[in-house]
Amino acid sequence: MGVQVSKMMGKIFGTKEMRILMLGLDAAGKTTILYKLKLSNQDVTTIPTVGFNVESVTYKNVKFNVWDVGGQDKIRPLWRHYYSGTQGLIFVVDSSDTARVEEARSELHKIINDREMKDALLLVFANKQDIPGHLTPEEITQQLQLTKLKDKLWYVAPSVATDGTGIFEGLAWLSNNVKTPAQK
Amino acid sequence: MATTLPYRPSNDSLSASNNRQTSGLPRLSPAASFIGRSPSSSHGSYRRTSTENAASSFKPRRCKAQYPLDSPERHVEYILVASFHIDRGPIMEHQYPAAISGDESMLAELMLPDQTHVRSQDWTMFFLHKDTSGEDETNEAGGKKKKRKSKYIGNQEGAGLPDDDPGEASDDPDSSDDEGGEGPPLMYVLNLVNTKQDNTVRRGAVVKAMAICTRHSFLHIYKPLLLLALEDYFKSPYPETLATLYDAVNAMDLSLMPKMSILERHILQSSNTKDMFLEKFEQMIRQREEEEAQNGECPPSPKKMSRYALPRDTHEFESKVVYNDIPIPVKIPTVIWPETVGDFSLIKLIQTFAVPHATSPQAFPAHPHLTTSGPFTHPIIVLVNAILTQKRVVFLGHNRPSGEVAEAVLAACALASGGILRGFTRHAFPYTDLSKIDDLLQVPGFIAGVTNPTFANHPEWWDVLCDLPTGRIKISSHVEPAPVTEGLLFFQQQNSLLPPTTSTSSDPTGDTLFIEDILRSISQRHGENAVRAKWRAYITKFVRVAAAFEEAVYGASNLYIIGPGEELSPDSPTGHQSDASDPTSLRGHGYVWTDEGAKQRELSASVSRIEGWRNTRSYYSYIQDIAAMYYPARPIQRPDIHHHHDRLRALKLSHAEAASIYLALSHAVKDYAGICQLLTVAPENQAGLFYVSMGLFHPDQVVREATVDLLDRIAAHPAGRHFWTHVGRFAKLGYIRVKRERDAATQSPASPVPTSPGASFGGEPQSLVGVAMGDGMQRRS
Repeated sequence: MGVQVSKMMGKIFGTKEMRILMLGLDAAGKTTILYKLKLSNQDVTTIPTVGFNVESVTYKNVKFNVWDVGGQDKIRPLWRHYYSGTQGLIFVVDSSDTARVEEARSELHKIINDREMKDALLLVFANKQDIPGHLTPEEITQQLQLTKLKDKLWYVAPSVATDGTGIFEGLAWLSNNVKTPAQK
Repeated sequence: MATTLPYRPSNDSLSASNNRQTSGLPRLSPAASFIGRSPSSSHGSYRRTSTENAASSFKPRRCKAQYPLDSPERHVEYILVASFHIDRGPIMEHQYPAAISGDESMLAELMLPDQTHVRSQDWTMFFLHKDTSGEDETNEAGGKKKKRKSKYIGNQEGAGLPDDDPGEASDDPDSSDDEGGEGPPLMYVLNLVNTKQDNTVRRGAVVKAMAICTRHSFLHIYKPLLLLALEDYFKSPYPETLATLYDAVNAMDLSLMPKMSILERHILQSSNTKDMFLEKFEQMIRQREEEEAQNGECPPSPKKMSRYALPRDTHEFESKVVYNDIPIPVKIPTVIWPETVGDFSLIKLIQTFAVPHATSPQAFPAHPHLTTSGPFTHPIIVLVNAILTQKRVVFLGHNRPSGEVAEAVLAACALASGGILRGFTRHAFPYTDLSKIDDLLQVPGFIAGVTNPTFANHPEWWDVLCDLPTGRIKISSHVEPAPVTEGLLFFQQQNSLLPPTTSTSSDPTGDTLFIEDILRSISQRHGENAVRAKWRAYITKFVRVAAAFEEAVYGASNLYIIGPGEELSPDSPTGHQSDASDPTSLRGHGYVWTDEGAKQRELSASVSRIEGWRNTRSYYSYIQDIAAMYYPARPIQRPDIHHHHDRLRALKLSHAEAASIYLALSHAVKDYAGICQLLTVAPENQAGLFYVSMGLFHPDQVVREATVDLLDRIAAHPAGRHFWTHVGRFAKLGYIRVKRERDAATQSPASPVPTSPGASFGGEPQSLVGVAMGDGMQRRS
């Protein structure tokens, strides 16, 4: 009941709520992005995520409930349990780790081909743009084979999570493109 | 092949008769250690020995140790270390003394709970089922449909099949003496995980976990040791560190802890007396010293004080573990009920959900099994109903340490068990995570603890969700509706026939009153033990009401074994003697209501919950238990002592009715075990011997004297003497008066002089009180 009321309030005052799932290979920068969103002006140091993190971030009248799930290959099978009700997928790629872009592509396509994720927006952070030898967002788009996707809204945002560059731009894209009201 | 499972898969065997459980339990003696020599030993013989050590009159048998020195069982069987590898996730680093077989990576995942990276330290607990397939095969002939699968939760038990795992008996400490072919009991795992920030390593942190695997349900005693050992392991990450801990904990000496019978354990747990059964501890020490004298290890020197100290409180046994030359004191509970694992707090669990309910109650969606007192049923009652009717219960503690959800799960198991029902911990997952969800969902009626809030988004995974941070309980929209049953129809017909009782009580189940009483106990700081005793009484009552329900609906109950000479019919007149010459042939059994209307109201209010309980694992386990425990727990088969004591307490009886009860009690309750049984139905927190002692004021002299005889026997009993000292002064004076009357009657013809009636009433009574209490006083000194 409380949820219903707050949703109504949300409609009246124009705030939206959005459930976001943030995935990616291990050490891509997911947790750093999450806490950079949450604590914009602070330095963030992270350690590997055991399990998950979840935080609420309000940006431009949208309340994002962001789930950040650990990325080691052994625990990737657990990702699917977070799919239901997810409206936006943030997929984080380490642009400097050229050796594992193919692995990232495979994981990404597994996720977005899941039935429960068919309506979710896809935001890709081409992260670690500050490291020499990184791939550009265009190269990432190409290597992840995003252009092959049909019926999917997607966007690739270059980012440097450690100093916050690009992450709010990505969030803005999500909030501008979310149309369906938050599902339960 | 042995396999490790993080829960104990139940077996599908329906046949109880040939499993190890039933072969183990009946061997229990009602008086494990010092049963009276003969049931007819009179109080006179007690009296003669009363000046000696208390145990002497009761000690023909050796007192057995609960954990003997020569036992092949080790306190701790395995030590494990796991760590979170930054590339590979959870991995197992070391296992000592050998690899615990089974799915290693699954174990490592359990040892590194979700969100470990946000706290520096976390405790968790989980259970393993360690299988030994050799034994499985020998058991297979015993009606098992299939072999336990060696995969984690691989076995899908048919819903509703009774859970009579042969190993399950080992849940009960009673059976721990039946090693031999005893099946593997649960393996309990206590796990400590530390996260240390370290800038010298890649990605800035080291996460390591160390776990102790033990068959003892009091695994919490190992906490200080794990703290020390894990710290050492960070410094020297080698198997030797594990070996040191392993050797230290297994060197712990518990051999002076006496083994108690089921009745003794019952008495001890419900008593607050700190020296209850101290005699047993004395006897253990004496036996040890005699042995040592024989072996010439330590010549008996009368002047030397005993090397072994008596416990300050017999509810716990003190020992120590010497780890790296540091002696660490440990306290082991003397009484361990089935389904009691670790050091949870019922009070904490109850308050977590009672406080939000008290401030702003929330209506539950109706479900006949769960909301037994309407939409505003107390959440704790909803929780207990859910567990009793085998619903899937999840405790969620987002941002809470996993140790906290584990404690809640263990407390919930104990709540629904009351130490009487079982089969809950075997299907409990004190801590689990998403990686086990597929396996978890194969288990009907689990109780699981999680920290991942994604569980809240999946109502199809649970029936009842208990959110610890908010203290709210939620009933899932996916919960299966309660089926219509025979009992339900029966009571609907009954109720339509009955005139609509303008029931003054809106609380026909009595649950509201019960919860109020519990909350009062908590606010008045009666303590955890008192609250546990009350829950035990609540579950006892639930089972007795269920037995009465089955008799009413089906004509007979699976939950009660009719004593010899007892009529099965529910209409059998209670309080009549089937054999006029035998006072113990007093009829009547089961729960006592003040009148038929009260009985009908309570039964019809409880129909759904009882029907929901029938067909569950705990229901079937209970039926096995009462068969197996019939002799150990009920040395006096007739009359039904519990029933007749309840009648004394609850009903306004005529003098004749009361007389027959007092005479029956006095005739039936003779020996050590029989007195124990009487004491269990008259616990100290429920007026103790008050109702028995009222027989001293009965108008019939025969009854008064029979009561005196009974009380004499009780006062000479090692546990009974504590109960006798708690009897009020009024009753004690009554006792003295009856004694004097009798003495006067027997002595006056011969020598009227020594106790001339009316003479020196001031001095004499004291000495008589002294006689009555003398055993206790002298023993204590």
